[in-house]
Amino acid sequence: MSLINFSLKSLWQPLIIIFVLILLAPIFFILISLFGEYNANWNHLYNYVLSKYLLNSFFLILGVSMLSTVLGVGSAWLITNYNFMNKAWLEWAIILPLAVPPYILAYTFTGLFDSYGTLNEIIKNIFDTKDNYIFFPSVRNIYGAIIVFSFTLYPYIYLTTRMAFLNQSRSLMEAGKLLGFNSWSLFYKLAVPLTRPALIAGLALVIMETISDFGAVEHFAVQTFTIGIFRTWFGMYDLNTAMQLSSLLLIFIAFFVVLERSERNKMSYTYANSTFKKTDSKNLKGLRSFYAFLFCFTPLFIGFILPIIELTNWAIFFPSENFFSENVIHSFFNTIWLGITAGIICTMFALFINFLKRFDDSLFLRSSSQFLALGYALPGLVLAVGIIQFFSFLDYYFVSYFLKISIVGSVIGLIVAYTIKAYALANNTIESGFQRISSSIDDVSLSLNGSKFSIFYKIHIPLLKTSILTSLLLVISEVIKELPATLILRPFNFDTLAVSTYIYASEERMYEAASPAMLIVLIGLIPIFFLSRIIRDSRPGKT
Amino acid sequence: MKKEILTIKKLFFEFKKDNEILTDISFELAEGEILGILGPSGIGKSSLLRLIAGLEKPKSGEILYYGQILSNKDIFIQPHQRGIGFVFQEKVLFPHLNSLENVKFGVKGNKIEKEAQAKKYLGLLKAEKFEQSYPNSLSGGEQQRVAIARALAPEPKTVLLDEPFSSLDIDLRKDLRNDAKDLFKKTNTSCIIVTHELEEARVFCDRILRLEKGSIKEVTI
Repeated sequence: MSLINFSLKSLWQPLIIIFVLILLAPIFFILISLFGEYNANWNHLYNYVLSKYLLNSFFLILGVSMLSTVLGVGSAWLITNYNFMNKAWLEWAIILPLAVPPYILAYTFTGLFDSYGTLNEIIKNIFDTKDNYIFFPSVRNIYGAIIVFSFTLYPYIYLTTRMAFLNQSRSLMEAGKLLGFNSWSLFYKLAVPLTRPALIAGLALVIMETISDFGAVEHFAVQTFTIGIFRTWFGMYDLNTAMQLSSLLLIFIAFFVVLERSERNKMSYTYANSTFKKTDSKNLKGLRSFYAFLFCFTPLFIGFILPIIELTNWAIFFPSENFFSENVIHSFFNTIWLGITAGIICTMFALFINFLKRFDDSLFLRSSSQFLALGYALPGLVLAVGIIQFFSFLDYYFVSYFLKISIVGSVIGLIVAYTIKAYALANNTIESGFQRISSSIDDVSLSLNGSKFSIFYKIHIPLLKTSILTSLLLVISEVIKELPATLILRPFNFDTLAVSTYIYASEERMYEAASPAMLIVLIGLIPIFFLSRIIRDSRPGKT
Repeated sequence: MKKEILTIKKLFFEFKKDNEILTDISFELAEGEILGILGPSGIGKSSLLRLIAGLEKPKSGEILYYGQILSNKDIFIQPHQRGIGFVFQEKVLFPHLNSLENVKFGVKGNKIEKEAQAKKYLGLLKAEKFEQSYPNSLSGGEQQRVAIARALAPEPKTVLLDEPFSSLDIDLRKDLRNDAKDLFKKTNTSCIIVTHELEEARVFCDRILRLEKGSIKEVTI
């Protein structure tokens, strides 16, 4: 038996090591650039534009953090603790903006609010004003970007804080009331401090997404760090300096990854214990009920309904590029097969590693899993830089030497990028699926029927069906939305839905961008449906 | 004098997570005997059963079964190769399989043989009525009947029971206990049952051992 154990271990360990190395190599190639030479471009950036990139990024993060916290925490508190008009559907619908990538909201915002945008035109028609009259101010600036990011990313904060509010016991709130707290002081003196780890975890995700974005800031011409990297690479044709800038961004992101992890671990302390009593929702009536509804409906309207209306308007009434045009169909199939491939790879490895962890919780497996999960925080642009460098190295020393082909510019780069970005999504889903299977089930199976492999396919796989499907869908939706890495790593003449949308939008051909953008949002809705179900069923003590 | 089939010699085990420790545990189990292990919660009763079943590895000591070494410092036989059944305290039926499929899980043979064997044991445990039912539609007592049938269907010579009746109400517990005891005696199956209730041990067992601070002593019934 020990011989079998040995051969199994000798088989899976190198496989996991290779997988981890492939996924970590791009990060390694970026970071070593810090120790390379700093050329004249670096000096130019350092002296003239770096401070602008830093300041813009800082103000963007600050604004997005503040607005998304108000939207996320406020709506989570209202929905958890009060009954008001239309709460039943708002409870799940409020996370729908997650299906809209910030760059798509940015495109629709310009379509709506530009001087000749839909809303300005409507105002002009209604009030019969002069042709050059502009009612809505321009959104192509940092304020527009703050609104776009906040209204698409607040669900991250809503999700984490809502979970925390749901898990706050009624006894705690009753103790607060006995001490003389009113509703408002209960909220900010008791509920919010108790929710702090959840809030910081959600906020860290919002900040990471904001820093990593390329599409929206590029469209609004906000010069952030990612724009700096892109311009250095494609404007100055200086990959080395782009990598050095990427290294700085990576270190900055690493701080938020650590913060998010540590706060997420603390979240368990605020969770319910066996004395949990669920909080009763208070009924709101009249104007109060309406205000609560308005507060929760506004982010949903701006982050989801408004862009959907505008995209539908473009796609149906100006069908210059409809859903069935050759380009959209090609982009759709390219995206889907890339998504399915990355989904299968991520899900299979997540299943494999978590299954092994169940029987051998070794430091090697735990740390591999944690390293692999870091990828979700990597900005797509930085990832693309790392992959290009890594693949150039492989091409130079191995691939072109033995196989006479080149992997730079092939779909392999895209699949590696997606796997790195989305592995954490698959891992989280599969890991929590495994956690729901009692370890006694394994013990029973082991005592009855032996081999771990048969437990895997006869017991675990059937019990993990939903987790496997959710994992596949989450990865596919992440792949569909991904823009910067896809834009850079895609083979020549190979478009995905995100790339098609970007190209049309960057040429201001909004009507043509509508069909691929709508498809991105529609496909993105599928995992949101699963998320809503998880949220709905997550209250402790729920029968 | 009945033949001794299971011998535990100087077993040592430390379970850091729960701060449990078993030191110098030695005892024997005879063929067809029902042996009770008594002791307060957290003393290591369940860990002792897990060691015998092969779900944990002892730090030192030896376990012999029908003269064959199951576990010592060089040898460790895997759980399913030991031919020992296990019924857990928690109701751990496979939720995606119905009662019949649950019981068939550990049975060896072709499809027809497996089905016949599973039906036989469901019948013996008076659980044939719900052979097509899934665990979520069964009561606690019904689930435990199926779990015992599942442990016995591969016809092990010995079954380990880890507080199998503890979650059931008094009447149900009495019924199931009597049915299980009759079945063990009828099939001459040896059994080790872990419990913290002396009364239950007295009614169910031929002999009782008390586990105290890691060591084991015989109790007079």
